[in-house]
Amino acid sequence: MAPDPNSASGSGTKPEPPAKAPAKDSKKKDEKKDEDLSEEDLALKQQLELYVERVQDSDPGLQKVALESMRQEIRTSTSSMTSVPKPLKFLRPHYGTLKAYYDIMTESDLKKLLADILSVLALTMSAEGEQDSLKYRLLGSEGDIGSWGHEYVRNLAGEISQEYTKRQSKEAPIDDLMKLVHQIVAFHMKHNAEPEAVDLLMEVEDLDLLVEHVDKTNFRRTCLYLTSSARYLPGPDDMLVLDIAYMIYIKSKEFPRALQIALFLDNLQYVKQVFTSCDDLLGKKQFSYMLARHGTTFELDEEMCADDEEREAMQEIINNTKLSEGYLTLARDIEVMEPKSPEDIYKAHLLDGRASAGASVDSARQNLAATFVNAFVNAGFGQDKLMTVPSESSSGGSSGNWLFKNKEHGKASAAASLGMILLWDVDSGLAQIDKYFHSNDNHVIAGALLGVGIVNCSIKNDCDPALALLADYVDKEDSSIRIGAIMGLGLAYAGSQNEQIRSKLTPILGDAKAPLDVIAFTAISLGLVYVGSCNEEVAQAIIFALMDRSEAELGESLTKLLPLGLGLLYLGKQESVEATAEVSKTFNEKIRKYCDMTLLSCAYAGTGNVLKVQHFLGECAHHLEKSETYQGPAVLGIAMVAMAEELGVEMALRSLEHLLQYGEQNIRRAVPLALGLLCISNPKVNVMDTLSRLSHDADTDVAMAAVISLGLIGAGTNNARIAGMLRNLSSYYYKEASLLFCVRIAQGLVHMGKGLLTLAPYHSERFLLSPTALAGIVTLLHTCLDMKNIILGKYHYVLYFLVLAMQPRMLLTVDENLKPLSVPVRVGQAVDVVGQAGRPKTITGFQTHSTPVLLAAGDRAELATEKYIPVSPILEGFVILKENPDYREDV
Amino acid sequence: MGQGTPGGLNRQGGSPGDRKSDGDKKEKKFEPAAPPARVGRKQRKQKGPEAAARLPTVTPLTKCKLRLLKLERIKDYLLMEEEFVANQERLKPQEEKTEEDRSKVDDLRGSPMSVGNLEELIDENHAIVSSSVGPEYYVGILSFVDKDQLEPGCAILMHNKVLSVVGLLQDEVDPMVSVMKVEKAPLESYADIGGLDAQIQEIKEAVELPLTHPELYEDIGIKPPKGVILYGEPGTGKTLLAKAVANSTSATFLRVVGSELIQKYLGDGPKLVRELFRVADDLSPSIVFIDEIDAVGTKRYDAHSGGEREIQRTMLELLNQLDGFDSRGDVKVILATNKIESLDPALLRPGRIDRKIEFPLPDIKTRRRIFQIHTSRMTLAEDVNLEEFVMTKDEFSGADIKAICTEAGLLALRERRMKVTHPDFKKAKDKVMFKKKEGVPEGLYM
Repeated sequence: MAPDPNSASGSGTKPEPPAKAPAKDSKKKDEKKDEDLSEEDLALKQQLELYVERVQDSDPGLQKVALESMRQEIRTSTSSMTSVPKPLKFLRPHYGTLKAYYDIMTESDLKKLLADILSVLALTMSAEGEQDSLKYRLLGSEGDIGSWGHEYVRNLAGEISQEYTKRQSKEAPIDDLMKLVHQIVAFHMKHNAEPEAVDLLMEVEDLDLLVEHVDKTNFRRTCLYLTSSARYLPGPDDMLVLDIAYMIYIKSKEFPRALQIALFLDNLQYVKQVFTSCDDLLGKKQFSYMLARHGTTFELDEEMCADDEEREAMQEIINNTKLSEGYLTLARDIEVMEPKSPEDIYKAHLLDGRASAGASVDSARQNLAATFVNAFVNAGFGQDKLMTVPSESSSGGSSGNWLFKNKEHGKASAAASLGMILLWDVDSGLAQIDKYFHSNDNHVIAGALLGVGIVNCSIKNDCDPALALLADYVDKEDSSIRIGAIMGLGLAYAGSQNEQIRSKLTPILGDAKAPLDVIAFTAISLGLVYVGSCNEEVAQAIIFALMDRSEAELGESLTKLLPLGLGLLYLGKQESVEATAEVSKTFNEKIRKYCDMTLLSCAYAGTGNVLKVQHFLGECAHHLEKSETYQGPAVLGIAMVAMAEELGVEMALRSLEHLLQYGEQNIRRAVPLALGLLCISNPKVNVMDTLSRLSHDADTDVAMAAVISLGLIGAGTNNARIAGMLRNLSSYYYKEASLLFCVRIAQGLVHMGKGLLTLAPYHSERFLLSPTALAGIVTLLHTCLDMKNIILGKYHYVLYFLVLAMQPRMLLTVDENLKPLSVPVRVGQAVDVVGQAGRPKTITGFQTHSTPVLLAAGDRAELATEKYIPVSPILEGFVILKENPDYREDV
Repeated sequence: MGQGTPGGLNRQGGSPGDRKSDGDKKEKKFEPAAPPARVGRKQRKQKGPEAAARLPTVTPLTKCKLRLLKLERIKDYLLMEEEFVANQERLKPQEEKTEEDRSKVDDLRGSPMSVGNLEELIDENHAIVSSSVGPEYYVGILSFVDKDQLEPGCAILMHNKVLSVVGLLQDEVDPMVSVMKVEKAPLESYADIGGLDAQIQEIKEAVELPLTHPELYEDIGIKPPKGVILYGEPGTGKTLLAKAVANSTSATFLRVVGSELIQKYLGDGPKLVRELFRVADDLSPSIVFIDEIDAVGTKRYDAHSGGEREIQRTMLELLNQLDGFDSRGDVKVILATNKIESLDPALLRPGRIDRKIEFPLPDIKTRRRIFQIHTSRMTLAEDVNLEEFVMTKDEFSGADIKAICTEAGLLALRERRMKVTHPDFKKAKDKVMFKKKEGVPEGLYM
């Protein structure tokens, strides 16, 4: 038997080409085919023909028998997946006859039966754009939809969505359709085809239906599909989808995931609901850990936790007070407590000869670099070899020595580095920094103030020690002290929306006598404190400050920080920025475009909005005069918008490649920084190669940006390859002080926290974006756009903005009393399991460790023991384990 | 405060960069090229410009809205890239400039260029090269040669006098392999196969569907089969079926005969096998068809001659490529043989070849079908009764039937008839059967 050429083409499932084609040549073919058919086939064919004739018989009994047996034939034919089932194929030539007969048939049950069969036949016959199958289905007997097989249901679903759009445009009623949708969704949800059910409901815009169909077997897959689709749906659909996912999670009592979505939506109402609807105390503690990781300021009240003592304990977790402890537990477990000196990082002995002859570099610059390297590497460990060693010698002895090896403003960074070393450890941190407050050197005091801010970064304390200490210095005479205090406040209270700080800082913006640098840092600090809040008053204050700048001041690079401060207020808030963006159009033309780009890039950061990327790319297409600088933020904007999802990252990397090829210098300078943002703490090999190439660029600015970005993509990973590249660069650039400085900083970043930290603003399986972390990184990147005047000038302490993004990249399991608990876990590369059948493996290439463990970018962990059950399905950061009651020890 | 000092420093630090970029514009000052990331190490094929141009993979494989959305996202980005590049080209046509540069480069290269082999990279700008004749030379590499792509062993272009490296030949595909690619689809389609329904279905499930509809397998949660072996008596349509697969698929189809894999020099056979699968992987999705696999795939035993050992090594390489350490992506393998019992068991284990498809001699129904296919284009006389041949007890293969039809046609031709008659067929059948039974006339000892 010759297979029909149409059906031989692979899939018999797709609708056949328009009906007229078979009709035309069916006659010719039929005759020929008759001879080719095997006997059974021939018999079947004749049988079916007989049925067709009988159907048109006048006797209803005969009709019924014929229809019934026709139905039987179709249902029982088990088809291979490669071709059209035989009964359907043989019935095709009679489709027209049956259809015609149907029209003249009188209303009866039989008519409905025939409609059913026509509906199935239409599966292979109906022309493109005609929903015959659906039409007859609606006219038919409305029996069990699944009885005709999966393909039929799928086809129906497709036709429904077409019909739906058609009716929408005509505003016709859709009740009958919705009834069918109900059936189909129920069918899909029972048969492991959640994506299809969701797709259909999205098409007919009625996702609410989903909630009633999920049960505990399929809600995970459904929600996973919903949340991953949300990334790619245009607004406002994405919010709707997430809302549904949130409702399903709440309904299925999967509270940690619900909390995740609540945080993603930035909806504190939902967060509260999660707390109130969960009655498990451990669960609530886990929520507190999740809130702490996200960096949200959140006050628990009685309603959420009735017990005062417990509430206090939870509030403490939210306030991150235990972070330092957990981090040190991790460090002790991995045995990296031993402090490291900058020389341990440079590893100059691995280089041949000439690097050691680096004496040509001015030593103040080198010492400054060493200060930063020391600060980054020993961040949070509480001990190092430069700043904290000396307590046994005379008070303030050798630490003072190192401090005074730095010159002038270098001393500020050195003093502040103590804050970095004692990061998150508020009590001992403040005690150790205290001695510098009594120094008579203004720079040291400034550094101490900044240090206080750094220590308190992402920690909240009821007594507000940072505010108490810093507030007095904000209005001091000396501008470096003021900057130290202001920046310290910004770091300590980032994201807190603290009223007191606003009332303290906004007057400075309006102060005509305040120097430009103080105003710039005030704007940034306000931006950080009110990050993503859209606060009108702060915005007004910054706008006025910008308008007050004189023509000359507008040319300064520090002025560029004012728009950034404004932008941070709207970080990720999309349309809310529009009013402010309108106002910014009235600015002086020197800053207008720059402001516009910065605002847009911040507002759409982490949204993946393709239109905005297009807008930025369009801006980058112009070739400008040298003095114009607004393309830098535009390039960063591409990265900020595209970093939302993996595909966007990959594709943005490609686009940036084009920018490198065609762009003028000011674009090329920003490209490495954008690359660094896209892959922060995620050393992808191809990005590494590109940056390594750019680090030898003829233009020193490009090279410097590339070097810093190398540090950023490797931040906290100890990546040996990047370390090697940087070592080679340090010998390549041994004569060029500024480049060498950048190389040193990058080296410090790569070994940040001895490899225990990450800068990635995305956490919880790359789902949530921490706004404060992103704000910190973006601020640093903006200052890197004009490296020479800021980082290589006297404002190198902007590097400390990175502290906002620093988080331990660990999994620390704790028991029910929140004491660390060591259990075996498997750690491996995360696999995207959305829409896969069965229970696919979520990680690949795993290794088994015992907690606490480090998680690299793209890693995922799962418990390797049945003895405990994690309270949260997301194994990152602090995770509470409870004992599995069903667990039995193997004998 | 040190307003002055850092300012001064800045100016100092800044000026070289500025001067350099200015210099770039005025006169094309020579600058030493940036040293490549890795010099002289063998590169993995994944990297380089092609890998960068490759689009990210889109999960899930199932057809669903999420996949559509993701693909659309990629499309959006690509459109933006296109728009950007088109704009740039419009703003700043680079044709003339590149034209000029190109002619300059051509001058530097000189002509003719000799072809050589890169033996070793010494440093950024020097290498040891050899040409097909004569000694090895230590020569310079011109700055416009892309050093990232140079690797030991690659074919390079050398200046005819000073022998410096002036370019590299990129086509690294072994010409032996490129010949194997089927450029023109064969004319035989599934419709030309009589019977073999089950076999067609099996091969479709194992070879075609995984390439066209991978999501079906994902849905069920199984890994699609990697390859099939077709075996059966001579003339039962193994090669014909492979041709039909090649005809119907849009995947790259590479065909080899087992004997082609046996080469004159030691190590050439395994190398060819490696190359074959590498090309298949590059051009994936692809289907590799190895006919007469028994040429290399016979059972291993103590071989005495070097030639036999080499053949066995070739097979071992084949084993490794079929299911070795490196996973092959969308490459499906079809093997064909008529002596499956002599093949090495390692070759046939599941995981390498998951499906064994037997091609039996045609039964009566199939025979009728095959006769119909072959006679459909012949002018037959009224008296021809094919049923007689169809119903006979002799064992015909598909090829025999074809031979009978051809022979009958030739007989008719000999007598200058325009129609083939029944006696023609009879004679032809006797002749074919006579040949087949090696000289024993049919019916003699029955």
